[in-house]
Amino acid sequence: MNTTFYRLELRRLVRDYTNMFFTAGLPAFLYLIFGAGPEYGSDPIREGNVSMWIMIAMAAYGAVTATTGIGGSVAVERMQGWTRQLGLTPMSDRDYVTVKAAVAATIAAVPILLIYSLGYLTGAKAPLSVWLISGAIVLVGAVSFALYGLNFGLAFRSEAAVSAAGGSLVVLSFLGNIFIPLSGWQLAVAKFTPLYGYVSLARRALTGGGTLDVETGGLIDVPLWQPLTNAVVWTTVFAVAALFLVKRSRTRQ
Amino acid sequence: MEHSCLHLRALKKEFNTKGDITRAVDGVDLEVRQGEIVALLGPNGAGKTTTIDMILGFTDPTSGTLSVFGESPRDAVRAGRVSAVLQTGGLLRDLKVGETLELVASTYQNPPPIEEVATRAGLDGLEKRKVQQCSGGEQQRLRFALALLANPDLLILDEPTSGMDVGGRQTFWESMRAEAARGRTVVFATHYLQEAEDYAERIVMMADGRIVADGSTDQIRNLATDRRVSARFSPAELEAAAAAARAMPGTNSVEVQDNRLIVATVDSDAVARNILGPWNGSDLEVSAASLEDAFVNLTQEIQS
Repeated sequence: MNTTFYRLELRRLVRDYTNMFFTAGLPAFLYLIFGAGPEYGSDPIREGNVSMWIMIAMAAYGAVTATTGIGGSVAVERMQGWTRQLGLTPMSDRDYVTVKAAVAATIAAVPILLIYSLGYLTGAKAPLSVWLISGAIVLVGAVSFALYGLNFGLAFRSEAAVSAAGGSLVVLSFLGNIFIPLSGWQLAVAKFTPLYGYVSLARRALTGGGTLDVETGGLIDVPLWQPLTNAVVWTTVFAVAALFLVKRSRTRQ
Repeated sequence: MEHSCLHLRALKKEFNTKGDITRAVDGVDLEVRQGEIVALLGPNGAGKTTTIDMILGFTDPTSGTLSVFGESPRDAVRAGRVSAVLQTGGLLRDLKVGETLELVASTYQNPPPIEEVATRAGLDGLEKRKVQQCSGGEQQRLRFALALLANPDLLILDEPTSGMDVGGRQTFWESMRAEAARGRTVVFATHYLQEAEDYAERIVMMADGRIVADGSTDQIRNLATDRRVSARFSPAELEAAAAAARAMPGTNSVEVQDNRLIVATVDSDAVARNILGPWNGSDLEVSAASLEDAFVNLTQEIQS
């Protein structure tokens, strides 16, 4: 991998304070308000607690915000002709994608590490394996949202569209059982939205398969195939859309 | 022995836009040898940029053959043998000048030292500045520096000075000349006749996707040196002056508008000397024929 390119890309992103705030600062703040502060945080979920449940969700929100932004930036760089400029160099498309993927994973790791550290300091509890497994799933699963951001950029061809993609994650987070635990018909709808599968799989190590029911404080059992199918289907949809949009933008040039 | 660095044969490029087929490049034959400085001259829409895109491997030709140093365009680019300053090449606005150079240098095996390239492109003292704070001319010099990082044998410049002020243009062409003196082959596209005249040894004129003239700068200049001499005469003397202008060698056309006589000629000095005095002409204006006029003439010659 071209480490100079990787390092400069990271430096560029870190210099963008607004972006870093929305990626890491905002979800960390949301965790502190909703996850660490209230009394229900210490309510148990199996061997862990509700703070842990909210911590994983906020880390996931931060991680997808990061990858959506980076996916979108690829589209913006294409529009601005930077990709053409790089096309004059020996760098291959594969090198470019590798660096971007490494950058996306690195930036997505920032909110995860920050929020998990805050969680550790403010009472989120679970066995060590839950911390590790959930963190890994949050990181890996966030990659498919790089495609989500890329699609917005390619489809609407503007920087504003990429910001809109980032904003849409707030809505998807409510719909995806991230910000507040859903039950009943809301949960039934949630199961079809793109963030649901991702966050459910990340929390599965903690819940053992259930989802939190606010009414009873207990867990509603959800079979594994549901979040798994959700994640696979949505990732496929994003990937197919990206292939189509990249092809379309090539023929337009 | 001279080597061919560019070889284009019967090159065509068609675009299909909503069912209509546009021929952007319509059968171009071109041979560029090592060490030449060639201007690709033509109005907007002549097919210059599309030709350059094919030379750089950004688009594939619809038909015809094309090789760069005997290789395919992409291979020549990957080997760093050819590089370019693109009209549409974007830069990252939030990257600093020095960082941009560092990034692009990192894609090459043995790039020349960044400081040296920055100096050659006239970027000294700008390394720490963000690209978005650079003027258009400075950004163009940065693109030039990025092209130099390839240490290319062939340098292609697509309208390199568009949007630059006069001073910027001059500095830019001085740097380009210095690079040509190092033995690089330079092909540049322009729609300014003056730039082609001043900086190229050979001019290839394009119109409507075809090459309409190809020759040394002197040869091309002679094709396009019609000048327009226009002066005011009193109504009494206008007819006689027009007749005298028509009789002069080198006159291509004579027109009368109100009380003005407009003469298109290859020898504007002689017309001015011999017509103005005897018939008391006043308010003299001499202008070079526009490039568009030259193209019209050339394309008509080719078709007839």
